[in-house]
Amino acid sequence: MTGATPSTDGLPARSRGVIALLEENCTVCMLCARECPDWCIYIESHQEPVPGTEYGGEDPARAPAGRGRQRVRNVLDRFAIDFSLCMYCGICVEACPYDALFWSPEFSYAETDIAALTHEQGRLREWMWTVPPPPAHDEGQRPPQD
Amino acid sequence: MAPEEIIAAVGGGLPPEVGCEADHRGVMLRVPHGHWLAALAFARERLDCDFFDWLTAVDEADEGFSVVVHVYSLAGRHHVLLATPLPRSSPRLPTATGIYRGAAWHERETHEMFGIGFDGHPHLAPLLLPDGFEGHPLRKDFVLAARVAKEWPGVKEPGERPVPRAEQPAPGAQQPVPGAERPAPGAERPVPRARRRGPPHVPDGWGPA
Repeated sequence: MTGATPSTDGLPARSRGVIALLEENCTVCMLCARECPDWCIYIESHQEPVPGTEYGGEDPARAPAGRGRQRVRNVLDRFAIDFSLCMYCGICVEACPYDALFWSPEFSYAETDIAALTHEQGRLREWMWTVPPPPAHDEGQRPPQD
Repeated sequence: MAPEEIIAAVGGGLPPEVGCEADHRGVMLRVPHGHWLAALAFARERLDCDFFDWLTAVDEADEGFSVVVHVYSLAGRHHVLLATPLPRSSPRLPTATGIYRGAAWHERETHEMFGIGFDGHPHLAPLLLPDGFEGHPLRKDFVLAARVAKEWPGVKEPGERPVPRAEQPAPGAQQPVPGAERPAPGAERPVPRARRRGPPHVPDGWGPA
């Protein structure tokens, strides 16, 4: 680990360097922000109607999706992690049921301004490309179920 | 020394009120606070625990506090933990600095973090907290300012626009369930909404000041 030029070479895949976001997988369920003991995950979102489910009135023939309520989906507007507060516990990564948060071993993101340690959506996404593939299963382990 | 030897030595050398049991790495002594210094001296002289590792306290809520010391024998490579219960109303212990001089810092820290007095300590001044700090931050009833001043990021529902601070619930407060009231006949029934939840693991009564 200790060397003249620190690098992520040789770090195990489980290393906790930085948290990456795959925003396509985020459903804005808020679980990570609620579980975070440091309150350092900020999520903003809004709802949009799902096309093709407009309420067509009482006439079932005019309602494409029946007579139910207009369906809406959550759209992510902002996802930010404040790494000046984060204690790298990984509870958010564990809590995410949709595989939107990942550990990356990258650790070189020191800043001189504390506000710059709040990584917004775009920067969290860039970390995604540094996430290593999960380690191979142990020999004799039960095959993955999914 | 093996744990069994330590337990036998404690049984022969300390009063029977001192409880003694093996734990995962060594031996745990549960000492009534009247025997605190005698037990520490016994650990140092008779159990050969010459290395003082640490001293701290545990807030046991209704059961008061425990002061815990970890000592180690460099020659015998055995660990001994000593713990003593203290009442919440007047947590005081005689200082261990006469037996282990290295306990001075630890007792200063435990004094400022838990408000436990150490009688006879040579210099029981604050160690880590800023000048003028009030309260004992490692007590469980200490309200963390950051949890009061900061908005909980999880207050929003999925897809919800930012919630104005004035409408946010105080942590632990019981919220009325909107839509639970019976609407007047003929009135449009309001869409029931889930109860707005407060932050987890934040005690009742904490909230925006």
